[in-house]
Amino acid sequence: MSMLPSGVFFQSYAAEQGLLRTWPQRLGLVASFLLLASMGWLMNNYWLGILTLGGITLVAVLGLHITIGMAGLLNLGQSAFVGIGAFVAASMAANGWSIWVTLPCSGLAAGIVSILFGLPAVRIKGFYLALTTIAAQIIFPIVMIRLPDGWFGGSAGMSVDPPVIFGWVINTPRSYFLLVLSVAAVAFLVATNLGRSRAGRAFRAIHDNDIASSVVGVNLAKVKIQAFFVGALFAGFSGALYAYFVRYVSTDQFTLWLSVWYVGMLIVGGMHTPFGAMLGVAVITLLQEGVHLLGTKVLSSFTGMSGGTVFSMTNVVLGGVIILMLLFEPLGLAHRWSILKSSYRIWPYPRG
Amino acid sequence: MKITIWKSTRRAFLAASCATLSLMAQAQQTYTVSVSLDYTGPFANVMDSWWAGQQSVFDWWNDTKGKAIGVKLDIKTHDMRYDASVVARTWPQILSSDKPIVFLGMGSPDLVSLMKRLPVDKVPMIMGTAMIGPLWTSDGWHFSYRPTYSHEFAGLFAYMQARLPEKRALRIGTVSTQGLAGYVDQVNGVVALAKAYPDRFNVVSSQWVDNQPITVTSQIQEMAKFKPDLILVGTNTAQVVATAKALKELGLKTPIVTSSHNGLTEAAKAIPMADLEGSYSVFAFAPYNDPAVKVADIFAKYNKVKGGTWGITAAQTAGQALLAVAAVEKAVAKVGAGNLSGQAIYDALLSGPYAAESFQGLMPSLQLRKDAPFPTDNLAVKAMTVKGGKLEAVSTDWMPVPALAKW
Repeated sequence: MSMLPSGVFFQSYAAEQGLLRTWPQRLGLVASFLLLASMGWLMNNYWLGILTLGGITLVAVLGLHITIGMAGLLNLGQSAFVGIGAFVAASMAANGWSIWVTLPCSGLAAGIVSILFGLPAVRIKGFYLALTTIAAQIIFPIVMIRLPDGWFGGSAGMSVDPPVIFGWVINTPRSYFLLVLSVAAVAFLVATNLGRSRAGRAFRAIHDNDIASSVVGVNLAKVKIQAFFVGALFAGFSGALYAYFVRYVSTDQFTLWLSVWYVGMLIVGGMHTPFGAMLGVAVITLLQEGVHLLGTKVLSSFTGMSGGTVFSMTNVVLGGVIILMLLFEPLGLAHRWSILKSSYRIWPYPRG
Repeated sequence: MKITIWKSTRRAFLAASCATLSLMAQAQQTYTVSVSLDYTGPFANVMDSWWAGQQSVFDWWNDTKGKAIGVKLDIKTHDMRYDASVVARTWPQILSSDKPIVFLGMGSPDLVSLMKRLPVDKVPMIMGTAMIGPLWTSDGWHFSYRPTYSHEFAGLFAYMQARLPEKRALRIGTVSTQGLAGYVDQVNGVVALAKAYPDRFNVVSSQWVDNQPITVTSQIQEMAKFKPDLILVGTNTAQVVATAKALKELGLKTPIVTSSHNGLTEAAKAIPMADLEGSYSVFAFAPYNDPAVKVADIFAKYNKVKGGTWGITAAQTAGQALLAVAAVEKAVAKVGAGNLSGQAIYDALLSGPYAAESFQGLMPSLQLRKDAPFPTDNLAVKAMTVKGGKLEAVSTDWMPVPALAKW
């Protein structure tokens, strides 16, 4: 429980335990949400597209925050679970199912498949577990292509029509942004509350010391599989949103490279809080855009530099940021934010 | 007095000139063509030549035919990074700011993201790359002047089979990667060809390798047991290089058949051209150094892109731009210079045939129909091969492609 300014106190345990404990916090949240929603009218379609994709990515990274950040189970196959969600959504949408059905089913499908890859987590951890999740990433495209074409489109992939909600076709950048924003907000809220629940505390326990937690009664096998399931559930939701956004799914859209980026975002933002996941997605997305825009400017100004060099530099810069974060702030930007917040709250007294 | 008359005459002349120029400017209608490029993605290293091919054709057309018919094409480029999600998020901005009458796509990310949107947004897309079987759908607004990769390979295979010393089927070995839809489809198409013409083609071995392999020697050794006449590697340059190295290690002289994007020029950047002796690149446009290709002169005169060089890449995208301007001309003839729209260009694309003369020697005549996003009648290809360490055309004539039904 973070420190509050002096004079703020609670008269009930429930108030003390609330996510938003003071009225400025509640006001801040509502204002932030309204500000984000207003971006649908304030931003041009290009930036709206970036925000929408950022929201879709955030849902997947929040899932990774649960599996890695909360439960300490290294998962390098999150993109495969996003892919499963995307294919299930595309397949169901092609058969006329509404987004109200496709969205939960996509999450459930990804969650159920993740159990297969979560089972080894009962026996192994660390690098060994990471390898089994990479196996998910490798197996995913091969299985998808080999399945009957009528299921998921086979090697052709599947096209997806825009979703319809209450008779309203979500086919404009603004309407789709608002849909993604709503789902991302709910995912954020669920991820935040999960950390305060019995299951979330069990995840934290196995993250800190799985042997000790089993001694105090945590069912290791069950909790590890649950952590995988919930993380992949989020990935499935993200995949469904992605499918409706891109309007086409094919196996080559869900690569190991994407999974590595998800982990990179979590590391930069801070893997222990949902806010860290959000910061990571925002910072890496802005950095990617910045480097690409700068790269294009550089190309147009200094023709001596080839496009290939700029592309390599993009990855060098982004990789460099991750290395620097690991060296100087392994707890991520969320930790910096937390320090800043407590410094503000106890000002003018020095922190620490 | 004499001076005053001279001054008045000069003023009148200037005024008349200005008025004429102004009227001409008003008469010339400007339309936007949006172009997808990859300046900061995986194909960034070839993008200068890619864009140069398109830019030079559009500049030449604006300067000549466009001026004559009163249309100027304003080209807007977009860095899509060869990423489907970037295409999906950039497209609404293109629609609202560019309002294009036609869109020039770059590769499969453009295709998969926009296929469903184009008919709704009423903007046709023209590709420069060959197509793949899964995109062989009807009623689309996406088109390419090239058929599928498998069609292109079939043209060369038919040529090679006809020249075998004995009357038998051509033994084909394939190297590709599982899990990548486009790569798998190339093999599926060739297998379908062998099924359709069992007396002419036989796929004797299909080896599946890593996407970017370090070595494929064991796979090629396995394939060699079936004595293939050629090895098809239509995927990427890394696989072509690995196959050439494997053949050298095993002391085999089997020719490799490649496409345009992973062709001999690209492979020769990694290994000596001599190691590719007898190998082929095949595509549905003329080799860049073919004397019949007049667009090379256009490129030499109009290219403004520093680093852009005339080669297979520039020729391929010049073909894309040539089809676009040919469609614009046809649309202007039908609806007039002031009424061009995405719908008018789409109708024009389907109202062929387009004569070979429109394409400056780069492509044969072509006819697009609603039932396929590429020409399906009278298909023909040209190919290059390495002879004596140098690239040369396999045949000066177009090589016909055997009919190949949808697989």
